Amino acid sequence: MSLRIAAVGDVHLGTDMGGRYRSHLTGIEEKADVLLLAGDLTRHGTLEEGEVVVEEFRDLPIPVIAVLGNHDHHSDKPAEIAAMMREAGIAVLHDDAVVLDVNGERLGVVGGKGFGGGFAGKCASEFGEPEIKAFVNHTKRIADRWRTALKELEADRRVVLSHYSPVNDTLAGEPPEIYPFLGSYLLAEAIDAEGADLILHGHAHMGTEKGVTPAGIRVRNVALPVLGRAYGVYCLNGDGRC
Amino acid sequence: MEAPQYVAARVQGALAEDERTNELGIRVDVRGEQLFLRGQVSCEERRELIADVASEAAPGLVVRNELTVVDVRTPEEEEKL
Repeated sequence: MSLRIAAVGDVHLGTDMGGRYRSHLTGIEEKADVLLLAGDLTRHGTLEEGEVVVEEFRDLPIPVIAVLGNHDHHSDKPAEIAAMMREAGIAVLHDDAVVLDVNGERLGVVGGKGFGGGFAGKCASEFGEPEIKAFVNHTKRIADRWRTALKELEADRRVVLSHYSPVNDTLAGEPPEIYPFLGSYLLAEAIDAEGADLILHGHAHMGTEKGVTPAGIRVRNVALPVLGRAYGVYCLNGDGRC
Repeated sequence: MEAPQYVAARVQGALAEDERTNELGIRVDVRGEQLFLRGQVSCEERRELIADVASEAAPGLVVRNELTVVDVRTPEEEEKL
């Protein structure tokens, strides 16, 4: 059976935008089996905006799995927003995994916000001041948790959902000077070590949709401004047919 | 006179940190008396709000608002992987 994954990130819903995105989700069950949200669902990460997100994505005819982004952390309420979403039946990943039965296949999704640091040869190291060490260590810890979650994942199809990018391919179009704030190769390294069928991320509004990890795993930047459509649909079945 | 690079950086910082905008992906360029804003935003109200915050952060400059509103299409195609 085919497995159709709809994905979008960076919808940046404000309190003045209730219902606007929802209108694009009508009939999504005809196009996809599951919807993945790649973070930056709000503008400022307030509880009021979290409520808009909940109303926009609740009670869809297909399962919804999300991660939060940096904007969703801005008001220091990420746990509260995640709890509101979970209450409404939306799975929210925080460096862990969820497994769904879709058309008789087990779809495993691993992920979380991710973080920055840069890409191999042009990245920060855990050296020097405590602030730099903390920055790099945050990404390392996330990558380690993803590696563990992927290692323990028992599923037929494996997808990684992130906000920050694991590769620089999908950042093309962004100023190279800000790549270290857009993602980290440590995320890709962890995923490549354990294997996955697809990686989805957002965050880089001026980037490019399609990329690949060093080990050949497909990466898709599903930030709304990059897609230019309400969501991307990616069909996984291994033989190129849907 | 303040160097245009510092003015652009101040405006970019204001757009990111001002609670009304919190926009990180806007390109800001200052050329003479003109301030150019480029990038994509989600709606027309936001486009105007960003220009207002930029104008407050750089009074005296003429704001050229070249931001575009993202046109969200209904997905028609799927990619087979």
